[in-house]
Amino acid sequence: MATLADVLDPTGRSAVRSVSNTRAPRRADLAGARIGLLENTKHNAALLLDEIGGLLERDRGAVTVLRRTKTAFALPMPQEQLDELVRECDVVLVGVGDCGSCSAAAVADGIALERAGVPTAVICSDAFTTTASAMAEVQGDPGYAYLTTPHPVAVLAPEAVAERAVQLAPQVVGTVTADGATAPREQAS
Amino acid sequence: MTAVGTADALPDADPDAAWAAVEHGFDQGWSDGLPVVPATRRLVDRFLATVDRSPEEVIGSLEHLHRTVTVELAAINAAMAGCRPEYFPVVLAAWEAVQTDRAATGGGWQSTSGPSPLLVVNGPVRQELGFNSAGGAFGPGFRPNMTVARALGLIVRNALGVVPHGFEQATQGLPGRWQVCLGENEEESPWEPMSVEGGVPAGTSAVSAMLTRTVEYVDNRHTADPEQLLADFADTISRSGALIFGHAPAGVVFCPEHAQLLAGAGMSRADVRAWLVERCGRTKADLARVGKDGVGPNGVRFADGTTPPADFDPLFSGTGPEVLPIAVAGARNAGISMVVRVFTGWSARSVPVLGRTTPGSSS
Repeated sequence: MATLADVLDPTGRSAVRSVSNTRAPRRADLAGARIGLLENTKHNAALLLDEIGGLLERDRGAVTVLRRTKTAFALPMPQEQLDELVRECDVVLVGVGDCGSCSAAAVADGIALERAGVPTAVICSDAFTTTASAMAEVQGDPGYAYLTTPHPVAVLAPEAVAERAVQLAPQVVGTVTADGATAPREQAS
Repeated sequence: MTAVGTADALPDADPDAAWAAVEHGFDQGWSDGLPVVPATRRLVDRFLATVDRSPEEVIGSLEHLHRTVTVELAAINAAMAGCRPEYFPVVLAAWEAVQTDRAATGGGWQSTSGPSPLLVVNGPVRQELGFNSAGGAFGPGFRPNMTVARALGLIVRNALGVVPHGFEQATQGLPGRWQVCLGENEEESPWEPMSVEGGVPAGTSAVSAMLTRTVEYVDNRHTADPEQLLADFADTISRSGALIFGHAPAGVVFCPEHAQLLAGAGMSRADVRAWLVERCGRTKADLARVGKDGVGPNGVRFADGTTPPADFDPLFSGTGPEVLPIAVAGARNAGISMVVRVFTGWSARSVPVLGRTTPGSSS
């Protein structure tokens, strides 16, 4: 006679999951750092990253060298795009995780960049922390620290996006430089 | 003929044990909120016996979530959904049909829009298994319709790991998610089966699928003029709330009465589509009023406010079944049809049902 132990598992999930919280080495500061911006076509994403990049140039001596668009926003970036960012940039900003699939994908991108040795700041809307954190777990890095900004982002006027950038810039610096390397997940105010 | 035999029920089944097994399914997190049938090896093997497929064959994946669907996992979830074993060839065809939708292999299941498959079954398998294609076609009430649609939902939940409040981020979802699998009412449709437009000959059992965001009725028992009738559909199809991008697809599930009225006026399915494609859309003035008159470089609409008010934005990006699929279902008792809000479009690829769709022996 069958028992409950004989009921088949419908998930196919293997019990063993490798965990690696590999972080790229942190820079002491951003002076001369080559910044890459990876925006995902979500409304205001490119503008927000541009604004933050501008602040890092103005206040920290970084230089924005690459602006890339992830057209398949729902999925992790293609390998060629990852290779290019790793080759050309010292620091990458990724965002904005502002939908069900792209928030998770942004976290996967951040983890991939860190594992390839590039300090990365991923920015998600705070309405998507569950799915963003779930992706960090799936990628074997459950403690991955991404930044959040209050929802919604897409409907903000340009001036409001600039304000968000001012709020986020210090947290981005904290995330990608030595000071912030061991900090827990940070929350934008 | 409806397959409702119970020859394979265990004569000494213990209802208390069945209840415990149902609770076990909930406890494991395997349920969509309704009881699931405990899938034993014995039961699942009956599903696998209906098709000539390797249980290990991978039939879908979300690589970014490190999850795959095999024939075996599909069979387990179909059994849990309440399917009979002989429905399994339809489940596999439906799954494959859904996989032809590019959103289903990207981030569609994770989307805030919470899309749901609309499945359309054609051919003799409707009678063999008892699919409803007449009254109440959108359900519920009929085991094959309900359980085949539910099986796909359980596959996405369990095998792909896209669970509500986890990777599934639907803002509100929609009524009837994972519940809509209708037989096309070929017997009362004036046109060829929908699956013919999907590349499968009439008379061959097949499943067509597309992701949808909801359906909304057009009740018109008011005119015998085909153009007035179609204008009523054009109004619903063109509603601004459904617009996100420059263009949008839509579908129609006509009731037999509407379809027959149109066909009686000499219109083919293609004629109906062409009429709607030509007329559906909104003026820039209408769109400016709701902040959607502009179309950005990424294809997304935005509040421009400087567009010429009299200009007309056609809804459809093309003229084929990919942007405006048309099916016929329901009872021949009123002029009530459904406009379907299609998520990304129809692949226009129907999938033949391959396997044994009759009850097997009760070994």
